[in-house]
Amino acid sequence: MPRYAMVIDTRRCISCMACVVACKAENDVAPAHFRTRIREEISGTFPDLRAETRSELCNHCDNPPCVYNCPTRASYKNEETGMVLLHKNKCIGCKACIAACPYDARYVDPVKGVVDKCTFCDHRIAAGKQPACVATCVGGSRVFGDLDNPNSSVSILLRQHPSEVLLAGAGTEPRVFYIKHYRTPR
Amino acid sequence: MEVTVTGLNALAFPHMHIWDWRVALYLFLGGLSAGLAVMAAVLHLRKNGELVEGEAASWIAPLCVPVVLGLGMLFIFLDLEHKLNVYRLYLTVQPLSPMSWGSWGLLAFFPLSALFVLATLPERLYGWLMLDSLRNLARRLTESVRIIAFINLLMGIFIGIYTGVLLSSFVARPLWNSSILPVLFLLSALSAGAALMIIVSRSLAAKLFFTKLDIFLIAAEMTVLPLFFYGQYTSSSAHRASILPFFAFTHEYLWFGSAIILLGVIFPFALVLKLLEIREGHVTALTPAVLFRMNLSAALVLLGSAIVRFAFVYAGQLSHYL
Amino acid sequence: MKNFCSRRQFLKISGATAAGWAMASALPPWQMLSAAEIAAAEGRYVATYCEMCFWKCGAFAKVVADKVVKLEGNFLHPHSRGVLCGRGNGGLGLLYDPDRLKAPLIRTGERGDGKYREASWDEALSLVAEKMGKLATDYGPESLALFTHGSATSHFFPLVKAYGSPNVAMPSFAQCRGPRVAAYDITTGSDIGSPERLDMANSKMVVLLGSHLGENMHSSQVQDFTQAIGNRAKIVVVDPRFSTAAGKADYWLPIRPGTDMALLLAWTHLILKNHWYDAAYLEAYANGLEEMIGQYDEYTPEWAAKETDLSPAVIIETAQLMAKNAPAVALHPGRHVTWDGQDVQRSRAIIILQALLGTWGRKGGIYLASKAKLPPLPAGKAYPKPGRPALNRGGYPFAGGEGVTNVVRASTLSGQPYPIKGWFVSGTNLLAALPNPDETRAAIKQLDFLVAVDMMPTDTVVHADVILPECSYLERHDSIAQLRGRDLRLSIRQPAIEPLYNSKPGWWIAKELSRKLGLEAYFPWQTYAEKLEEDCLAWDIDFDELKEKGVVLIPNSENAYIAPGNPPVFKTASKKIELYSEELELLDFDPLPRYVRNEQPQADEFRLLYGRSPVHTFSRTVNNPVLNELFSENELWLNPRPAAKLGLKNGDYVALVNQDHIKKGHIRLKVTERIREDCVYMVHGFGLQSERLSKAFNRGVSDQELISKYVVDPIAGTTGMRVNFVRLQKEA
Repeated sequence: MPRYAMVIDTRRCISCMACVVACKAENDVAPAHFRTRIREEISGTFPDLRAETRSELCNHCDNPPCVYNCPTRASYKNEETGMVLLHKNKCIGCKACIAACPYDARYVDPVKGVVDKCTFCDHRIAAGKQPACVATCVGGSRVFGDLDNPNSSVSILLRQHPSEVLLAGAGTEPRVFYIKHYRTPR
Repeated sequence: MEVTVTGLNALAFPHMHIWDWRVALYLFLGGLSAGLAVMAAVLHLRKNGELVEGEAASWIAPLCVPVVLGLGMLFIFLDLEHKLNVYRLYLTVQPLSPMSWGSWGLLAFFPLSALFVLATLPERLYGWLMLDSLRNLARRLTESVRIIAFINLLMGIFIGIYTGVLLSSFVARPLWNSSILPVLFLLSALSAGAALMIIVSRSLAAKLFFTKLDIFLIAAEMTVLPLFFYGQYTSSSAHRASILPFFAFTHEYLWFGSAIILLGVIFPFALVLKLLEIREGHVTALTPAVLFRMNLSAALVLLGSAIVRFAFVYAGQLSHYL
Repeated sequence: MKNFCSRRQFLKISGATAAGWAMASALPPWQMLSAAEIAAAEGRYVATYCEMCFWKCGAFAKVVADKVVKLEGNFLHPHSRGVLCGRGNGGLGLLYDPDRLKAPLIRTGERGDGKYREASWDEALSLVAEKMGKLATDYGPESLALFTHGSATSHFFPLVKAYGSPNVAMPSFAQCRGPRVAAYDITTGSDIGSPERLDMANSKMVVLLGSHLGENMHSSQVQDFTQAIGNRAKIVVVDPRFSTAAGKADYWLPIRPGTDMALLLAWTHLILKNHWYDAAYLEAYANGLEEMIGQYDEYTPEWAAKETDLSPAVIIETAQLMAKNAPAVALHPGRHVTWDGQDVQRSRAIIILQALLGTWGRKGGIYLASKAKLPPLPAGKAYPKPGRPALNRGGYPFAGGEGVTNVVRASTLSGQPYPIKGWFVSGTNLLAALPNPDETRAAIKQLDFLVAVDMMPTDTVVHADVILPECSYLERHDSIAQLRGRDLRLSIRQPAIEPLYNSKPGWWIAKELSRKLGLEAYFPWQTYAEKLEEDCLAWDIDFDELKEKGVVLIPNSENAYIAPGNPPVFKTASKKIELYSEELELLDFDPLPRYVRNEQPQADEFRLLYGRSPVHTFSRTVNNPVLNELFSENELWLNPRPAAKLGLKNGDYVALVNQDHIKKGHIRLKVTERIREDCVYMVHGFGLQSERLSKAFNRGVSDQELISKYVVDPIAGTTGMRVNFVRLQKEA
């Protein structure tokens, strides 16, 4: 059973927005709405500056507050793949899941009137492809794969480098891992 | 730190805004109906039912409960983005979702409060009941009015807590994510219920009784509210930042600063008014002046309760987990 | 297949695990579809190459029910390697932009007031042919100039040549790469190419001077750059601005603008003085080392530190690093290098460093272009010899074949050496591309005739007498791209869908026009697909394979590094790298780069710098709904200290007044530590004035309008544009 996860190498993210645009086209996301975004953080004062650039998306948490807060089981965690997904036909649009998500990963689709979110492009995965954002990542920053497969690129990367998750203190146990520093070569 | 985010959702920019006055009004009205149910039950249960004698509030208050509740539920329904799917709430029980057990709770509360209405409706008003079966039911229920009142009391407390838990279950919103919030909301609901009882009751005894009760509730609320802020202030940086809108007193947070100042004025003022009323022998008859003072303090408490809901619904959406 | 379902329905199936509620009963979730139904829903993929910029990435267009729903990168294509950038992904925004030109337009009002009437293709083309005929009669065919960029060139340049004019000009030379092309031409005999053949993926060190890779989003190059980051190559970024690339750098050198030459000379000084150069390599492949000795003594790091506002230590340290990592050093020559009019010499200084470090032809440095040859195409009808010599190079000795736009503009204004009375403009927005747009507008006023071919009603297009709506790259054939990089590949552009509205492919417009001009002999084919097939036949390429895969690799065409039997080829007079250029010396130019100080801003002025956003290609994409959503308005970067002095804060709107008292406003301030105190920066291409661009009209400020001053490089005729100074005025 695959345990899907994404690893984002922030060193290689050059904030080009390819993922943002590809995601919108792939998933027909409404204008002014997004399933993934780019965050650029600059700290320090001139000329001693540091930059961190990363893409953010639904973390497909193992302890997903959106799922717990859904009153109709529209939001669910796919037990087989670990993806946090949505039965749109069950969504009443109460927005509790949006309030519950510390990553602001969800939105109300203005056309369909239901909540929507990143699906890890499960339809592409089923067709043997990478998620749209990963497939088009110019910097090679986004990597997708199966944590249960020790030879998958995500497993290898997570073994090779120290990684972190966003808002670890929130206890959501994300499945999106960030590599911010490389392990110093021996 | 300079932060640039490209691709934020319209709903999350410049801060989250998913719930508006409809949800705040729902929480206020839901809390009010819950508080009123509790107080109406108290009226029937206290002093072996002495207070009920000749007291119109004994049936008006229970009658108000489903009306206020229905109004509140109308507003939450209006907030739903996909109203046609609302039946889905009742095809599942999600124990971790306050929204789920709240909607089941409301489903139970509504008929229970209706039973309370039937049980307390005076016989002279049975004409309002269109069906004979209803009249018979009402007549039979009258005998068990104390049991029904007690169930409504429990149900009222449950709903009063639920309106707070609804918000407090979100780790993502530090202002809400406090277990004091349900207590605060319950106290606020109960004091609002007591205030409404003061307004709808006729007898001096009942009015004075609920005035006394309200004093305790307001005092408790005035203790819990600062404790809440203290707790947030001494917690994580996100929690501390979450109460900033109330205490920044800047143009940006005008409404929240105003709310906190208003609460700081309303509650003590209402409290003093009420303390004056219950001084031994001070009030012997319901003169227009006395009625005005009592209704004024009650209205202030209701206003305070509404302010709490609105302020928390809006400010909570400004707060963010780091 | 076409009628299987609409796009929205399709996406409901594919985009979610369950169909939307409305479709829940009508369509099963995708897991429940049969294989055939999935195939239908997945649509067909059409191979093509992108033209959201000019990198020409290979792409597949996914088409469902005659709608392009998604674009994907082509793995076989060396420029995209399976991925597309934000703009490439945003091609759908161009295709379905509601503001696109939809029908031929004929001007009814005054030139520039934007009043047009729709016309049939026959009427519009007849009018163009009639005007061109009159132009030839009145002034001679040479009086027609072609301004062009991108794929349209391969259709309209032949047309204009057949008509009898040699006067073509592309902003890609004089406003962009020109100085570099000239410098390589002088020094190594051939350009580093596009894509630049930097072997960054194998570099131990990458040095960027003002190249903001990442914001400048050329896919394969950025892929190589991030590969270098992943390989933990040392990254040095020289830029007055903390660019995205600088954010990835081990060394950020926030250099004083206009002093890059001092840094380059100091590096050269250190490498020469310390004998850090690759003597054996230079002995084998370069001339002029002896002449260099002694010429760089004055350019000490301490001297350069004063000029550049950098510390001597960092100059020495970075030079040491280059020496240590040579030859696996990718020293980027830049792409947009028209900075200050000394650009050919500065580019030469970089090329000399590349040579001293022995990088040309070495792993991790600059790989060698494929030497593979394709059989020649059968010669077409010979073009007529122009009656008068071409004026488009303006006597600049190293102006390239792309022509010098500003020279053609100047001739239009002056009538010298002969009048230019007609402009044919395709694929370029001259008012946003050329410095001092006032001159461009004045030149346009002088014209007897202006015809524009474009997809969008750009500022320049809405000055045209006749506007011919070209369809987008997703709706047309264009010439087969020959990708000569590490190896040689061919790549095809073919329509994913039929042209929308009443737009037409460029080839069709050129051919139809040739028919009306009696020049159809130059276009001896019926459709462009037919021509492409003939080309493939001549090249012995399987056309069907090319159509299906989008890319065909010429086998055994790679010769990346110098090896026995694979020497580098330098097409200079000496057949070697010419460090010391006798060619320049003969023409009275400095044979070795030397330092000439650039003017610096006054205390209350800022040098105006401009650059790119990763989601925009100049002004071309600003109106693209998909990309506009991500970047709709340019901002003015300003350091917090001068901002505080001026009483300005982040988000304020300001107007800019340049040294020539040209005032433009307003633009939103981005107060940021990411820039030096003596300059301001904005993304190029904004502040468009064509009201037909509903999303782009008057959003932000046009840097070009403020670039009223430009310094022409005497060697190549290119325009140095980073020589303008602005003051800031707060706007209400």
